Amino acid sequence: MSEIHAANRREDLRLITGRGRYTADWSLPGQLHACFLRSDRAHAEIVSIDARPALARPGVVAVFTGADAVAAGYTQFPNLMSFTGRGGTTILKPERPVLAAGKVRYVGETVAMVVAESALAAQDALDAIEIEYKDLPVAVTVEDALAAAGPQLHANVPGNLCFEYETGNAAAVDQAFATAAHVSRLKVVTSRVAPNPMEPRACLVSYDAAGDGYDIYTCSQGIVMLRRQFSVLTGVPEEKLRFHLHDVGGSFGQRSAVYPEYAAQMIAAKKLGRPVKWVSSRSEGFMSDSHGRGIAIAGELALDRDGRFLAARYQFDCDMGAYLTPTGPVSHLRNPATLMTGVYRIPALYGSFRVVLTNTVPVAAYRGAGRPDIAYAVERLVDHAASELNIERTELRRRNFIPPDAFPYKTPTMGVYEQSDFAGCLDKALEDADWAGFAKRRTAAAKRGKLRGIGLSTIIEASGAGMYPKDQVAIEFDAQGKLTVYTVSLSSGQGHETTFAAIVAQTLGVPAEAVTLRESVQGKDLTGNHTGGSRSLVGAGSVCKLAAQKLIEHAKPLAAEELELEPSQVDYADGAFRERGGDKMIALMKLAQKHAAKIPHPLNVTAEASVGSTWPNGCHIAEVEIDPATGVTQIMSYVAVDDSGNVINHSIVEGQVHGGVVQGAGQIFGEQVIYDRDSGQLLTGSFSDYSMPRAGVLRDIHVGDHPLPSKLNALGAKGVGESGCTASLSTFANAMTDALRPLGVPHLDMPFTPSKVWHAIQNAKAK
Amino acid sequence: MTKIELTVNGTKHTCEVEDRTLLVDLLRDQLGLTGTHVGCDTSQCGCCTVHVNGRAIKSCTLLAVQATGADVVTIEGMSRGGKLHPVQQAFTDCHGLQCGFCTPGMIMAVAALLKDNPHPSEAEIHHGLEGNLCRCTGYINIVKAVKRSAEAMK
Amino acid sequence: MFEFDYVKAKSLPDAAALIAANPEAKLLAGGMTLIPTLKQRLARPSHLIDVGGLPELRGIEMKDGRLAIGAAMQHHEVATSTVVKKAIPALAYLAGHIGDPQVRNRGTLGGSVANNDPVADYPAAVLALDSMVVTNKREIAAADFFQGMFATALEEGEIIVRLLFAVPRRAAYEKFPHPASGYAMTAVFVAETAAGVRVAVTGAGPGVFRWSDAENVLAKKLSPAALDGLKVDPNDMNEDIHATREYRANLVKVMAQRAVEKLLATK
Repeated sequence: MSEIHAANRREDLRLITGRGRYTADWSLPGQLHACFLRSDRAHAEIVSIDARPALARPGVVAVFTGADAVAAGYTQFPNLMSFTGRGGTTILKPERPVLAAGKVRYVGETVAMVVAESALAAQDALDAIEIEYKDLPVAVTVEDALAAAGPQLHANVPGNLCFEYETGNAAAVDQAFATAAHVSRLKVVTSRVAPNPMEPRACLVSYDAAGDGYDIYTCSQGIVMLRRQFSVLTGVPEEKLRFHLHDVGGSFGQRSAVYPEYAAQMIAAKKLGRPVKWVSSRSEGFMSDSHGRGIAIAGELALDRDGRFLAARYQFDCDMGAYLTPTGPVSHLRNPATLMTGVYRIPALYGSFRVVLTNTVPVAAYRGAGRPDIAYAVERLVDHAASELNIERTELRRRNFIPPDAFPYKTPTMGVYEQSDFAGCLDKALEDADWAGFAKRRTAAAKRGKLRGIGLSTIIEASGAGMYPKDQVAIEFDAQGKLTVYTVSLSSGQGHETTFAAIVAQTLGVPAEAVTLRESVQGKDLTGNHTGGSRSLVGAGSVCKLAAQKLIEHAKPLAAEELELEPSQVDYADGAFRERGGDKMIALMKLAQKHAAKIPHPLNVTAEASVGSTWPNGCHIAEVEIDPATGVTQIMSYVAVDDSGNVINHSIVEGQVHGGVVQGAGQIFGEQVIYDRDSGQLLTGSFSDYSMPRAGVLRDIHVGDHPLPSKLNALGAKGVGESGCTASLSTFANAMTDALRPLGVPHLDMPFTPSKVWHAIQNAKAK
Repeated sequence: MTKIELTVNGTKHTCEVEDRTLLVDLLRDQLGLTGTHVGCDTSQCGCCTVHVNGRAIKSCTLLAVQATGADVVTIEGMSRGGKLHPVQQAFTDCHGLQCGFCTPGMIMAVAALLKDNPHPSEAEIHHGLEGNLCRCTGYINIVKAVKRSAEAMK
Repeated sequence: MFEFDYVKAKSLPDAAALIAANPEAKLLAGGMTLIPTLKQRLARPSHLIDVGGLPELRGIEMKDGRLAIGAAMQHHEVATSTVVKKAIPALAYLAGHIGDPQVRNRGTLGGSVANNDPVADYPAAVLALDSMVVTNKREIAAADFFQGMFATALEEGEIIVRLLFAVPRRAAYEKFPHPASGYAMTAVFVAETAAGVRVAVTGAGPGVFRWSDAENVLAKKLSPAALDGLKVDPNDMNEDIHATREYRANLVKVMAQRAVEKLLATK
């Protein structure tokens, strides 16, 4: 597979000329507009709700409340937790009426929906709804939620603890710890953040009475999973749910689920017989789009006299918010459990997890989905151990890398790592970052009054194993003989229309322009995974290659017939079927055109494959400079050397790394969702209070690669979509710790805001 | 309802608006120019940036009635006769967009920046992009696109 | 937004009459504060009276040795004005760092000053330079004008027409921007005025204030080091999720020192 460096993507033209079609851009004739009344308190009983005054407002057609949600039966959200917990238990799932009934459990929860002739009329009527609450005590932290005297959020989830899980071998770990020469301990917290893709959520629902079906336009990460989730929630059969999914303005995990608003709109569309449109505002989004991360991890590492890892033990407390999202629990358990050993050979491993509900916005997968969290815990702990034992950080890592001859490596918990060269990535990164020259740079910075630090992480990820056992791709020809590839992935910026089309085009030996990719198209009978977990190229993308190969085989008999040859006399090369040792030939596209009138087109093929996790890995290194007077940090450089297997398009890979690293920088240096502990009010409810990274936060990233082709898919690729996030949290934190350690600042958790850093420095000085 | 007249991408329009109608809503809902996007409600993200009388403005923070008589250019008006504006070309050449949602506003802001400052330093580029958020690209390729645009527009 | 009636004032007297006749009306110039406020439904004016285009409120010129800037002058106009850059370059610099480029294309001096947001930029310069706020009724000295968080000496219906800035010998502005909003987390305007060294601080406290301890010390020796021994009382500082009061107190000192350093570097 040859590499492409071309930057110009097929999707660019419509996007740079304003002809993208995002959900809010769609309108249907006769549509009404919905606006949601949201809870303004974190935990309360709904004593009474009277919508009649709102109904009297101009333009208002209907108002829906929790009673309507309960009557429709829209109260049970799908959950993707696929394994059993401690003692064979299954996860306790709270009910979640799509409009709150009886109780509200987080600020922002949907309580009522006004439907009116215009969005403004709907908004105008919101404050006419009379609602009386009886406030209840609030728990917005895991600590408060688990406290004996804490408030109970759901009747069926005692103590707000919905799941406990463990993995590994506790006895072996205990034994190793008992005899270890040294034990290092570190507690870390990955802060709760808001994914904040730039496109606010939106949904347009139309009900077709004749067919008792729904047409739904919304933001998504893939049609198959979304359709299933809608069906589970509403009980509407999948064949009655038609999705129209077009451009998506970023997703990062926040778009993969069905949301309560969309189902509420279905109720309205059916009752009123007119389409219902809703576009979220950003402020609404802060209190209703799924949040990310929010895991507290207590790690312990047992080492022998020579700094070899004997065992590791982690306790995870996962804050899931007030209700379970489909992806939150499973991703925050499976990914850390799979990657707990990191890139290290650790004979004994044990992890225990608690999944806790709090009076906050529900948490779902967010770029990395537990991988950045475990990488953070592991790499901070390794650095911590290196510091305590006075063993140089890269040396301690080298001593413990899983060596090249140990692959495939079965980890002590779950997962089998494929061939990796951790030392190779490390060596390359150290060179690219001029690790050796750091001491000089630190001295020069000190002369300028700055504290300079360098940090590294060596990490591995499991790209998404897939919710569905196989990915299918269809290649079809139309009436003009033009070729379209259909997948059930859905790009929200990853460039599939360019890369997947190029994969097919290259395999077929035809110009890229001859292939068009369409994703998540309604009416295609295809199964497969959504775009998430860095698996689209690995899954859908590799099946694109298989589909193209299958097409060649499938077309050969027809080509042979056309050329009046035996199929055994026909070869395929450079886009055409050719007579072996002769002059006869027919181009594939010509053959397709010739048969274009037939239905179905004889060359249509569908291919499929079961593609599980691949194991992207790498070494990232960051240098930072802190101004001690203000606590402000400047990122001086960032090097990312990743093994993403075979790279199909360098430009796209770089873009993914850029984006992921800057999201990591955002989280490390200032993003944080903050709730007031007493009232449960959301204090970071807009971009005025939630610090998004801006241009200049990171001037450049040196993106290098050290590829070992994967044997686990036809492209030899490993996923890269989340690597930037997964590696950067620990990389930046290790750099900051390195800068602050000489001052005697102990471990500091994210975010490293100027105020926090300054205080840490002052406190260290005072000692 | 108030009647206003304004020119958008070279075409004169007469529209009826509520006084509280925002320019962005007029552009998107009444004129069907959905290339201008709404990304926030605190006037920070810049996705709604358009040119009003030659200056980059956040159309979510301007009333349509305030734009009466104005000359408005949106992303749809940036290419002429099927030919891309150099800034548009630079964005695709430099992979300066991924999901594309912030891109129209970003392109409008960059075009205006380069009009005021045809040869910005990197620091000036960062300063000039403070009104535009992007979640996908990490900005690195956007800055490259600005530099490329400046070169192309010399 | 709630509904309101929009009226474009034809003249300053017309604006005054409109606002007098409609007590629930609000003045609109750039709208960079007012429109977001209305979008959040935090205010419900009956009318918006647009004064942004009034010629009486426009213009930048030297007038009797003072720099006169019309209330409706936009931040980018002030930032790029050759007159301002010559007379008070620090003021041009300040204007060029308000908000972001798009905000600077609409936001106005008068709007900022009338609003007196404790985290706004202009009040620091207006106070440090002992400016005169000229309204359609009278002239108000800066020291009397700012009266606390979002409070000013303006009476009902009074309209700011222009500000008159005395030209300092030298001045400088150093701003620590709020990481999310871009407003001033703490910013300091230092000026060598005819009446002595002035140090005005915005963003740190409930309102813009002069740091008299710093002024006294700098009067004796104009150097950043002169401020070393000073302490700012954290109890006077704002505290929020982004910065503690101790941190802001620290920033006041650091920004003041950097402003002095900048001032000394100007010709």
